[in-house]
Amino acid sequence: MSRYIARRLLLALVTIWLASLGVFLAVQALPGDVTTQILGQNATRANVAALRAELGLDESPWRRYLDWMSGMLHGDFGSSLVNHASVGAEVGLRLRNTMLLAGVTVVLGVSLALVLGVVAGLYRDRWPDLAISSLSLVGMSMPEFVIATVLVLLFSINIPLFPAVVTAGPDARLGDLLPAIWLPSIALTVVMAAYIIRMLRTSVIDVMASEFVTTARLKGISPARVVLRHALPSALLPTLNVIAMNIAWLVGGVVVVESVFNYPGVGLLTIDAVHNRDLPVIQTIAVLGAATYVLCNLAADLAAMALNPRLRTNRRTA
Amino acid sequence: MVLSSGVNSGDGRERTTGAVSRRGLLTAGAGAAAGAWLLTACGSGGNADKAAATAAATGKAAAGGTLRIARPPASSAETLDPASSLSAYEYLGALYSRLVRRGSDGKPAADLAMSWEMSDEAKTWTFTLRDGVTFHNGQAFTSADAAYTLTHILDPATKSPQAGVLSTFVAASGISTPDKNTLVVKLKAAHAEFPTLLMHYNCYVIAKDSAKTTATKGIGTGPFKLASFTPAGPGKVVANTDYYGGKPVLDAIAFSSIAETQSRINALLSQQVDLISQTNLDSAGVKTVQASSTATVVEVKNAQWYTLPMLCTAAPFTDSKVRQAFKLAYDPAQVIKLAVQGHGTIAHDNPVPPDDPYRLDYTVSPDPEKAKALLKKAGHDKLTLPLYTSDYDSVLTPLALAMKDSVAHAGITLNIQNAPSDSYYTKIWMQKPLMTSYWYVGRPIDQLLSEIFHSGSAYNESKWSNPTFDGLIASARKETDDAKRKQLYQDAQKLMVDQDGTIMPFFASRMIGISKKVVNYHESGFEFDYLKIGLSA
Repeated sequence: MSRYIARRLLLALVTIWLASLGVFLAVQALPGDVTTQILGQNATRANVAALRAELGLDESPWRRYLDWMSGMLHGDFGSSLVNHASVGAEVGLRLRNTMLLAGVTVVLGVSLALVLGVVAGLYRDRWPDLAISSLSLVGMSMPEFVIATVLVLLFSINIPLFPAVVTAGPDARLGDLLPAIWLPSIALTVVMAAYIIRMLRTSVIDVMASEFVTTARLKGISPARVVLRHALPSALLPTLNVIAMNIAWLVGGVVVVESVFNYPGVGLLTIDAVHNRDLPVIQTIAVLGAATYVLCNLAADLAAMALNPRLRTNRRTA
Repeated sequence: MVLSSGVNSGDGRERTTGAVSRRGLLTAGAGAAAGAWLLTACGSGGNADKAAATAAATGKAAAGGTLRIARPPASSAETLDPASSLSAYEYLGALYSRLVRRGSDGKPAADLAMSWEMSDEAKTWTFTLRDGVTFHNGQAFTSADAAYTLTHILDPATKSPQAGVLSTFVAASGISTPDKNTLVVKLKAAHAEFPTLLMHYNCYVIAKDSAKTTATKGIGTGPFKLASFTPAGPGKVVANTDYYGGKPVLDAIAFSSIAETQSRINALLSQQVDLISQTNLDSAGVKTVQASSTATVVEVKNAQWYTLPMLCTAAPFTDSKVRQAFKLAYDPAQVIKLAVQGHGTIAHDNPVPPDDPYRLDYTVSPDPEKAKALLKKAGHDKLTLPLYTSDYDSVLTPLALAMKDSVAHAGITLNIQNAPSDSYYTKIWMQKPLMTSYWYVGRPIDQLLSEIFHSGSAYNESKWSNPTFDGLIASARKETDDAKRKQLYQDAQKLMVDQDGTIMPFFASRMIGISKKVVNYHESGFEFDYLKIGLSA
């Protein structure tokens, strides 16, 4: 078991490193660099050259990549090429905001999805299932910016309940952000919950038809206990990976929703950094994104083991 | 999205970090459009065809109040140093004053300088400065501050966009201060309109030796004092009760940074902000805002001018007959209608704005048949060319489509190529033979002609080079007789219309989204009438 985890962690590090390399190469391929973005059209050749030298961009790209890598291994993510601020501090602040949004969304989305998914599975082809399934299909097929825009139209403009955008900066106090996280959170919940509901419904239907559930029923166990104690743990197994991928998607995929609501999280920072070709910031966010995916997957696999005794024993005997 | 300037402040364009290019980055480009459609569709469609309002409400403002402005987060490196290429424009006019501001007639008007006179055949300029002015920190304003401001702009380390223009005429050694209210500038070359160069927004006056601190402290002599400032983030200025021009109606102006155009519109509609700055609403945005009961659209007339530079150093435009043919081939009346729904003024290939007293009234009527004949003479029976455009500004692509349509009668086929907006001005501009481009109105005539049309200048986007034209500009600068100087600048304009490499179909309005509560809004550049603007009771 511990050897298995060690191997997974090593693989995770390699994956993260490959992601950072891929992003580095992709940014190199973008036209223009940070100096042309900073100086813009006013740039004279002399000013561009001076700024490039100032920022160390006249060194070879590989040299810069290696410098950044070795810095990161020492816990130093470097400084932004645009405003020379510490990348670690900047990304950390944005990550706090995104985590707040993601946290609320996960709690809202996962609990909603679990309830609705189980209900849909238990009432297969009856009206609760039809309602839940068709609504989740609608949620899945609408892009999040459409959902976000409709929410703004309804609940900020027509009925002014929530703010349409966040006007505070990234260092806003949590109390200032709180009223503004509900609409983005609902927009993300709709997309996220839809996938989990679909998956869980199928899985509940399968498990409810299986022999051990029939046995449990014949033993006269109450229906609620059959579902919660016997069917749900098995039904959750295939769903766990979907939940994990959705949580990982939240941290990376909030870009569009954050930009609609001007929410000062990692997503807005990503857009800005890519636009400015601010490599240290882009690299740090890429590593962070890759790490989130890898860790969420690992957590899902470990949780699956905890839920499924067969997986545990197999590992031990193997 | 994208160099530095204001509606009338007269430098290039918005910075590359502005709204449009950001939007281009997201697949949500389509999203923003879809969003606008949704809002329009769900709002009251009946208003959609109403013409845009042309003026903001006037009337009595309630005393006090905070005006909330949404702006694009220009750059996390933005600064309050007015000389910088990364200055936060919206703050500058509130915090600082210039020696010379732009008067309502387009001519220099007194601000920190009460009067000025030239001597030595326009080679020496003496400015008499206002007495009794203090900076926000209580320090008295003197000629030493004015001299320091000029040397700070000229300092290569500042990388000021205005340095290139000023350094042709001024060297730090030529600036002297005989007493605390007098500034004398001895020019390297005569310039009869030298004060117009000081109207630029890079020329706001800062205190002596404050170059380092002004970036974050914003200490000036203007109508508002800085309360807080975050680059690419929120900030606030509060009324300066000691301002020499009087006391502003407002208590404060609060700024917030919102990246997406659609989000800025949403903030206006949900009454989180009162005005959206640096956002020229496209026709969907105009309809969305007009459908609202709380916000409206103000049209700032002739705020930007659109161009199609024909690169004079690249085939087929090396031949002046081809350039002339293109100018004759299109119908400006049709182009202005298609590209901006008529919200503008036909430019007749002359970049001098309609309200500029120097503008030459000279038009050449479209003549597709003559264009065909000229092309034939140049050896082209039929001409097929790529025309580059981008989402950088909302008018560029409609302009490209309108031109394609309009020149087809003259046997010219344009293939429209859409280029990414965030590298449009680094990869396409001044490199492809034919493209769409635009500038903000506001350069004084000499700066306009010499910066964008003079041989070899950095912004000469068509790379046109004409010694007669260059000579006319040089003579005009030396000419101290006003009438004769005007004649020389007008001769230069005729030469441009007839021969230069730039198609200029129209000056377009800028469409500004504003709350109905705002009264006495008047914008010039990113400056308002800071004393009068207010909120209705």
